[in-house]
Amino acid sequence: MSAPAPIHREGMHQPVAVPCGLRCIPRGVDELATEHLVLNMGPQHPSTHGVLHVLVELDGEEVIAAEASLGYLHRGIEKLAESRRYHQVATLLDRADYISGLHTETAFALAVERLAGIEVPRKASYLRTLMMELNRYASHLVWLGTFGLDAGAMAPFLYIMRDREMLLDIIEAVTGSRMMFNYSRPGGVVADLPAGTEGKIREWLAHADGWLDENDALLGGNEIFRLRMKGTGVIDRTTALAFGMTGGCLRASGVDYDVRRDVPYCVYPELDFEVPLGSTGDNWDRYVVRVGEMRQCLRLIRQLLDGMPEGDHGSKMSRMLKPPAGEAYAAVESPRGELGIHLVSDGGLTPYRMRLRSPAYFNLAVVDEALAGGLLADAIVTLGSLDIVLGEIDR
Amino acid sequence: MPVQTPADALRAAGIACEPSDETLGAVVRLEAARIADALEALYAEGYDFLVDLFATDTGERLELTWHVRAFERHEDLYLKATVDYDGEAPSVWSIHPAALYPEREAAELLGMRFPGHPNPKRLLTVDGTEPLLRRSVLLRTAEEARLS
Repeated sequence: MSAPAPIHREGMHQPVAVPCGLRCIPRGVDELATEHLVLNMGPQHPSTHGVLHVLVELDGEEVIAAEASLGYLHRGIEKLAESRRYHQVATLLDRADYISGLHTETAFALAVERLAGIEVPRKASYLRTLMMELNRYASHLVWLGTFGLDAGAMAPFLYIMRDREMLLDIIEAVTGSRMMFNYSRPGGVVADLPAGTEGKIREWLAHADGWLDENDALLGGNEIFRLRMKGTGVIDRTTALAFGMTGGCLRASGVDYDVRRDVPYCVYPELDFEVPLGSTGDNWDRYVVRVGEMRQCLRLIRQLLDGMPEGDHGSKMSRMLKPPAGEAYAAVESPRGELGIHLVSDGGLTPYRMRLRSPAYFNLAVVDEALAGGLLADAIVTLGSLDIVLGEIDR
Repeated sequence: MPVQTPADALRAAGIACEPSDETLGAVVRLEAARIADALEALYAEGYDFLVDLFATDTGERLELTWHVRAFERHEDLYLKATVDYDGEAPSVWSIHPAALYPEREAAELLGMRFPGHPNPKRLLTVDGTEPLLRRSVLLRTAEEARLS
């Protein structure tokens, strides 16, 4: 099928005639032209962050075109949710974005609460926010470590995993699990902080700043790392917006948007934090923005611990929760961007339709454009800088 | 600030529509065939960001939702249209490239089409998979699927 003529307008993203997919093979300018090579990256490639398959068309070392092929982790979470009661859906959603499950769960809980008109105790909102920020930090640590690996830096990964271990112990003490939390549910959270947790978090915080500085110095202070990052994988502001990018990837392109500040939820309006911004949208900016976000994370965790109120950690909920017929959308700022749950209810015991607006799904769509024109080695770094989680993309 | 509501802007562009205020937010219902024109007209009104695009099986038809946002004003708008089970809605990729993936996904999971999509392939499932998100497709255990 031929593509429709692209619409050209001032300031709008200018789509190329064929926006995605391999252009044409072999594509020589004349009969003497050399042949292009099509290379399969993945689906089991160490640098693709999950089971992702990227087809790249190469002219020597230069990427001419790229196409991501998804679905290796498709488990039909949206379909399964239609046969689960509202309290059971969080179990599925933990497995969507398995690096930061608390955000997905909370987005779902917020959507159900919006639809059913449920008030959440203040303490529960505080606990949700605290756990989400701890989870964001843990998620960014995974990104920082693996991003270093993509660029060829092995040592920081080992230090970072040591730091993350201490954090995961805290999260496990609160939620009962390291990955599949099922902690934030419609109406509140499962449990209050166990005795001694605040002390453990403060003990971790005492080290966290120093560790982050150390890891930042190891990666961002490294001349070779900087050279690899600066000017590669550029995604400009218009392209980022046109492809629906959100989160750190969008802010690195200079767009000042953060769901936590602009469409507030939980207790973020009461908290004081900054939103780090980039300017050019290259790999370096995405690195700087995320490391900046980690520093803000530590700031937020301190504020949340200081301001933690007394009270119930959840409201009494019926096991047969039946939100009225209707639709609701709730979004949170997950470590990857705007994570939204669009819920359709017919008044029954299970969601009629649940749509997960996955941030990494939209952030990944841009690779078809962003990788073209760069070198193959940079393509790996660019993919790493997008911080994708395939569990959330394939659902 | 906009001087006219999204529905006014659409009517000014000659597109019949029905606005409503729901728990979801501002919703505008229109004919599926006019969606590309509608998004084009709304783009000029500042609705320059496609948040999401998905389809729902209502039991009789498929309901498509285009969730757009006026990024500068943080205003969300939901456009909805229904199509038949084997129906079609024009692709909006040339206005919002963000639609490239979700259109492929909606097409394979609900079994409708987006004419004009430049790369209309499956995105998540393997060839031959039935449209999984249709209500008529029932969940089966792995064992049941193997025996069938």
